[in-house]
Amino acid sequence: MEQIALTINDRQLSASSGMTILEVAKENSIDIPALCYRQELSPIGACRICVVEVERSETLVGSCHTPIAQGMVIHTHSKKVLQVRKTMVELLLASHCGNCFMCDKANICELRSIATDLEVGLPRFQVKKRYYPVEDASPFIVRDLTKCILCRRCVSACNEIKKEKVFGIAYRGFDSKVVVDFDQPIDKDVCRDCDVCISFCPTGALSKHGEIGEEKKGEPLIISG
Amino acid sequence: MNKINGEIYMQNKEQKELLVRLGEAQNKFGYLSEKVMIELAESLDMSISDVYGVATFYSFFSIRPQGRNIIRICKSVPCFLKNSQVIIETVEKEIGIKPGETTPNGKFSFHLTNCIGVCDKAPAMMINSEVYIDLTPNKISQILKAHK
Amino acid sequence: MAQQRIVLRNCGVIDPMQISTYLDRDGFKALKKALAGVTQEQIIDEIKLSGLRGRGGAGFPCGLKWELAGKAQVDEKYVICNADEGEIGTFKDRYILERDPFTLIEAMAIAGYAIGAKRGYIYLRAEYHCLLDLLKNAIGQAKEGGFLDQFDIDIREGAGAYICGEESALMDSIEGKRGEVRYRPPFPPSRGLWGKPTIINNVETLMNIPQIIFNGGHWFSQLGTEQSKGTKVFSVSGDVKKPGVYELVLGSRLRELVEGLALAEKVKMVQVGGATGRIIPYEMIDMPLAFESILGAGAIIVFNETRDIIDIVYRVMEFLAEECCGKCTPCREGTEVMVEILERFSRGGGLETDISLLEEVASAMMLSSLCGLGQAAPIPVVNSLQYFRSVYENRIRQN
Repeated sequence: MEQIALTINDRQLSASSGMTILEVAKENSIDIPALCYRQELSPIGACRICVVEVERSETLVGSCHTPIAQGMVIHTHSKKVLQVRKTMVELLLASHCGNCFMCDKANICELRSIATDLEVGLPRFQVKKRYYPVEDASPFIVRDLTKCILCRRCVSACNEIKKEKVFGIAYRGFDSKVVVDFDQPIDKDVCRDCDVCISFCPTGALSKHGEIGEEKKGEPLIISG
Repeated sequence: MNKINGEIYMQNKEQKELLVRLGEAQNKFGYLSEKVMIELAESLDMSISDVYGVATFYSFFSIRPQGRNIIRICKSVPCFLKNSQVIIETVEKEIGIKPGETTPNGKFSFHLTNCIGVCDKAPAMMINSEVYIDLTPNKISQILKAHK
Repeated sequence: MAQQRIVLRNCGVIDPMQISTYLDRDGFKALKKALAGVTQEQIIDEIKLSGLRGRGGAGFPCGLKWELAGKAQVDEKYVICNADEGEIGTFKDRYILERDPFTLIEAMAIAGYAIGAKRGYIYLRAEYHCLLDLLKNAIGQAKEGGFLDQFDIDIREGAGAYICGEESALMDSIEGKRGEVRYRPPFPPSRGLWGKPTIINNVETLMNIPQIIFNGGHWFSQLGTEQSKGTKVFSVSGDVKKPGVYELVLGSRLRELVEGLALAEKVKMVQVGGATGRIIPYEMIDMPLAFESILGAGAIIVFNETRDIIDIVYRVMEFLAEECCGKCTPCREGTEVMVEILERFSRGGGLETDISLLEEVASAMMLSSLCGLGQAAPIPVVNSLQYFRSVYENRIRQN
C-alpha cells in the first residue's frame, strides 16, 4: 500500500493511501470531534463538526470523508476551525430542547460533551425548536425526536449493521426528520430488540425503557475549560 | 479502512424508476396515497420510509389529496418586484382560500412556489403544468374560469 | 455593444420542431466531423484549448472535466445535461431549450463520443414540463436522422427542488432518491451516477460545444478575457424596461447590460448570479462580467431606488431556507437562523447583537457547508452588510 506523507498540526506523519484525515488523526492520538461519524459506519458527512483546515483549500473540509493526499498540510484545531465548530454546535443547541436536567442520557450525551469542550454557552440564536411527542409504544425503544440532531447515525446503523431499513429521512431543510414508515411512531412491529441504533445515538433521542438512573451509568461528563 | 468508495454505491438500481412512478401516480390520483407508496415500495424493493422520504422531499409531490387544478403562484424576488402580492391576493379573493388550502368543492388547490423561470414576464403562475405570464388582477378571473 | 450570438445563434432562426431547419444551419456537422476520424483525445484537447468553463455557476473548466471522465477505464459512463435551471432570476436555459433543442442534442452526442459514454440524461426541472414534448420530438427526429446511433438520450424530470441543480443532488435525484448532496471527493468524473464516471454540464455550456468543434478551440479562445472565454447568456429581470435574454462577450461591463441593453433607470443595486449571487451597489456597476469578477449562472436582477435592501435579502434567504436539502448542519440550521434575524429586521426590528450573529453564522456556513448552496447562501447577506450596513444600523437604532 502506498504511503502518503502529510502534516497534521505541524507534525510530519505518514499513512496509507485511502485513509481519511480523521482516521490518520485518530491513529496519531489527535482527537477530532464528530457527531455523525462512527468508525463502524460509512462516513455520513452531515454534522460538519469534524471539519478541519487544509492549506490551499478555500473552505474547511470534512475530515471523516476526505481522503488524505500527498503533502497535505492540515490543522485540526486552528482558531478558524474552533470558531466554526463552536458556531455549529451552538446552532445545534439553538433548535435542541436543551432539557439536559431532565434527560437520562445527559451524562453520556456527545452533543453536551462536545459543547462543553468547545465552551459553548447558552445559544444566542433565537430559532424555533423542534418539538415532537415522545414515542414510547415499542417495548424495545423510546424515541424522543425533540432531542434529535439529524446526524443520521441511526439510519446508517440500522442499514449497514443490522441490514434493516427501519428509518428513513423525510421532508426537507429545517423540517427534515428521521421517520419510520409514513412518519409513524415507532412500535413493536417494525423494530426488534437489537439496540444497535440506541448505542449509536449521540443524544437522548433514542433510549431504552429503563429504571430511573440506569442510563446515567456512563462515564461522568468532565467539564473542561 | 474507510468505506468511502465502497458501500455507498452498492445500491438498488430499480430505484431510478421511483421519481417517474411517483410522478405518474401524482398525475393520475392527484396525490400519493399510502396504498400507492406501499405498492411502489414493494415493487422497487424499497422500504416504505424511503419512498415516503422521497415523496415528501419534492414540492411537486403531495401526500394529501389536492384539488383538480393546482395553482402555484411564484413568490420569488423578480415576481415580487412586479407586485406578485396583488396577484396572490386576487387569487385568494377569487377562490376564497389561502395558500396551502384546497377549495371545498375540490376544484383548486393553491400554493406559493419558488422561481418558475419566467422572470422576464413576471408576475407569473402555473396552473397544473401550464404557465401564465404577465399577470394582472383582471386576467386572473378569466384564467380561473377556464379551469373546471 | 459586445453582443455576439454563439449560444443563441439558432434561437429564433430555426424551427425547434423541424430538424431540417437545423440541418440548413450546419446542424450536426460538428458531430459528423467528430465521428469521422477525430480521436476522443483530440476533441477533448480542442475543448481544453477553447478555455470553455461551466456556465452553471461554478465555472469549472469543461475540457478538464471531460478529460477526467474520458481517462477512466470503465465501460459504463454517463453524460448529464443539467436543465434544472432553478436559480432565482434565470430563464436563459428555458429560452434556449424552447428555441434550439437540436444544438444541445448534438453537443451531448459529441460529449458522449469524447468520453466514451453510450447514454445521456437531460434532467429537466418540473416547472419546465411544458418543454418535454418539444425535447422528445427533437430527440426523436435526431434518432430518425441517424445522429444518435451510438448515443441514447433520456429525459428525467425533476419534481420541484432547487437543490437538484447542484450536481451531486441531481445525480441522486436521477437515481430516484431524495435530492441530497453528496460529499466530494469522489467527484462525478470519477464516480458519478450510480458510481460511474459522469460529466454534468449546464445547458448553456453544452450549447457552445458544436461551434467549438466546428470552428476550433482557438477561434473560441479569441473571445473574452484572460480567464473567461466566449460569451455568456444573461437573464435580466426586475426593474428594467427591457427584461429578457442577452448574449454578451465575457468581460462586457455590467452597466452595458443593465443600462445599455435592458434600459434600467435609477438603479440602486443589482444581484448577479441568482439567489446566492453577489449584490452589487450602483457605484460598482462598471464591473466586468467574467469569472475573474462576477458571473454566477448569469441571472441579473435589477433593483431601483425604491427598493429596500433588507426586504430583498430576507426574501432571498427565505427561498434558500426552503430549498435547503437539510443534510448538513450549517446550511439547515444556519439558513433558518438567518431567516429569523432578517425577518426581525424587515419588520422594522433588529437587535444590537444581530449584525454580529449574522456575520458569525455566515462565516460558519461559507466555510463548512457540504455543497455550493450552503457555502454561497450567505453571500447576499454578507454583501448587504458590506454595502448597506447603515440600513441595518438605522433599524437597530430606531428599534
